[in-house]
Amino acid sequence: MSELRQIVAVCLVGIGSLRERFASALVVVVGTACVVGVLTSMLSVTAGLARAYFRPEDATRAMVWGGRATFDQMRSLHPDAIGTILDAPGIARGRGGAPLADPEFLMWILPVEGFAAGSLQVRGVGPAGIELRPAFKIVAGRMLRTGMRELVVGVGAARKFGLTVGGEVRLRDGSWPIVGVFSCGADIIESYLVGDAVTVMAARRRAGFAQVIVQLVDAKAYPAFAAWLTGNPALSSVYVERKTDYDRRELGMHTAFYTRMAYVIGTIMALGALFGVVKIMYGTVRGRTREIGTLRAIGFGATPVVVSVLAEAALLGAIGAVVGAAIAWLIFDGREMWVWGAFKLRVTPLLWALGLAWALVTSLLGGLLPALRAGRLPPVEALRVE
Amino acid sequence: MKFIPLVWASLRRNKAESALTLLALCVGFMLFGVMIAVNAAYERAIDETRMDRLIVACAFDCGVIPVGYAQKLARIPHVTAVGAEVWTGELAENQHRPPITVTFVDQGMRSAWPELPMTPADWRALDASPSGIFLSRKAAARRNVRVGDTMILNSGPGGTADGSGTYYFTVLGFIPDPPGWHAGPSDTIVGNLRYAQSWGRPDERDLVNILRLAVDSPENARGVCREIEAWYTNASPALYCVPARADAQELADANINMRQISLGIGAAGLFMILFLCANGIAESVRERLPEFGVLKAMGYRDGHIALLVILEAVIPTLLAALIGGALAWDVDALVAHLALTGVIDMPEMRASLAAFGWALLASLLIALLSAVAPLYRLRRMDVAAVITGR
Repeated sequence: MSELRQIVAVCLVGIGSLRERFASALVVVVGTACVVGVLTSMLSVTAGLARAYFRPEDATRAMVWGGRATFDQMRSLHPDAIGTILDAPGIARGRGGAPLADPEFLMWILPVEGFAAGSLQVRGVGPAGIELRPAFKIVAGRMLRTGMRELVVGVGAARKFGLTVGGEVRLRDGSWPIVGVFSCGADIIESYLVGDAVTVMAARRRAGFAQVIVQLVDAKAYPAFAAWLTGNPALSSVYVERKTDYDRRELGMHTAFYTRMAYVIGTIMALGALFGVVKIMYGTVRGRTREIGTLRAIGFGATPVVVSVLAEAALLGAIGAVVGAAIAWLIFDGREMWVWGAFKLRVTPLLWALGLAWALVTSLLGGLLPALRAGRLPPVEALRVE
Repeated sequence: MKFIPLVWASLRRNKAESALTLLALCVGFMLFGVMIAVNAAYERAIDETRMDRLIVACAFDCGVIPVGYAQKLARIPHVTAVGAEVWTGELAENQHRPPITVTFVDQGMRSAWPELPMTPADWRALDASPSGIFLSRKAAARRNVRVGDTMILNSGPGGTADGSGTYYFTVLGFIPDPPGWHAGPSDTIVGNLRYAQSWGRPDERDLVNILRLAVDSPENARGVCREIEAWYTNASPALYCVPARADAQELADANINMRQISLGIGAAGLFMILFLCANGIAESVRERLPEFGVLKAMGYRDGHIALLVILEAVIPTLLAALIGGALAWDVDALVAHLALTGVIDMPEMRASLAAFGWALLASLLIALLSAVAPLYRLRRMDVAAVITGR
């Protein structure tokens, strides 16, 4: 019998007897399920935020901003500079041949009772801002009119703050009506109130835009675009970055510590599960001693026995991973959360894969020593075991 | 006492597996202890912020308010003190070392923000030396400075009266870290508002970032805030007011909720080890059924047998809780050190006996739950059948 066939045969024997060791198998499954469940649940926050921030089209976009302020609400890009920025090479053209770039204005507004200052923000956009967001859709009420003191609210902000069409929001120059509710394919802009940039700026009594979102003709156009802007003597204190890098940095501010913590906790839990797997697999080998002795006595090699123990550990770990990720998915996937913006928790296929890999590494490491012990069992002695 | 040798023998029956179970339990209890400490740290960050302290800022994102508002606010009923505060931070480009953000305060803060842990002597020293600063323990640890050192802050061109943007400070001393948790990498460095106003940008001389108010009781906090906002609704700039504790709570809720998450993780860790422990006890009882049969035949009552099994479950879990609690204590200290040196950004974690207590309680619960199924089995055991091996 070839070694491969022996491996398959011994694995099938081992797995076939799992029912008799149901309680022990359950310990490994529950242990790895807890590890994977916690890890994927924690990382579903990061994955959800990433999906809200990163759009596929961002790879061909750039951000330009002025001033050194940490918060984008405090940055200032003089309107005179906007024309120069729009002259930069590599900018795609929108409808009517105009550069597809949108100067934006951002401001915090008075917090609603029970919410932190800074939670509710207005994003002032121009016509190109809507063109840059193809998923933008009014779902209730109507679109705001350019030049009017009107706002539309994203579905995320509407749910979080209880804002509805017909409601009002206080800005510096008085109350602004909410005339519509929009969705935008779960983009982070759904957490904002949106108004006409120039009108919002006037209300805020600021002359400078916060930033310009630029659609480039393709990703390769970025180096020339950035070099032209940073080397232009007419533009001072202008910063430019690929939108993906910009968003990664912004996202990192909210999630870097949390993500690191998720991996540290995942590792600690995996260590606990590892000890458990070692203990259980030793017990399994002990329980199967006579069976292993018989297999060795009728000509099966040590390698198939070792592989069968590892395969059993891996199988149980994999089942645990699937159970853990499934529980995380059932409880958290699609649940809305607010971390300075609305987003949905996502247990993505990548997280399932990560959980599976995590569980397999844990269970294989845990199964290694018992497997080696099983492989080294002398058949004669194994057969004598009561 | 007569049970102890029996329990000890059963624990030593399979040393390797008992040790592995103990290790897994230790890790589980360590994680639980750390999560309890994380939860407590975030809770404390809110609890230590007082409801009878108010924060007053510009309502519409303008960043600054006239310092002259302080006198008017002091006359509002229930307001007992008003202090002014302005921050000056360093240029982002200079941040190859820990960034310096100085919180300039006036003497009104002695009463309006008494939680700022400065002694009367510190206040007098600050008043006597306008360019002096006090660094919190955390801030000093990150920068390795000594009393008498000069610290330089470059706020960028035009940031000071002479246009250079450079502030020169003399380190007057160190203070404990103020209560609460200040999000972000900056930490507390207290300066004198007079220096900021005389040396800062001329157009910002009479402007401050926030005013801090003390009110006579927490119950009046919301009412005073509403009154301030109503009084200043049409002022330029209009004011926004929030009790400091409500602000801290809302800020915590706006971020990833570590308080809830830490409890969830701790519970998952316990659930994981519950199964392992229960399986260990069940296996032990199953393998020793004849032994229990003999004990029953010798006259051991069900209560004695139950006690024996419970002790077998309690001893390792209790031991693991003690070891895990001690490990958690060390991890808490390590995390606190990392937070102190700026490697991670979270509220100060303090190792506490409460975490130990919770771990011990959880260990007892796990032990009792683990013993339920084996005890049920032993109760229904047919002694004669077990002894004769049927």
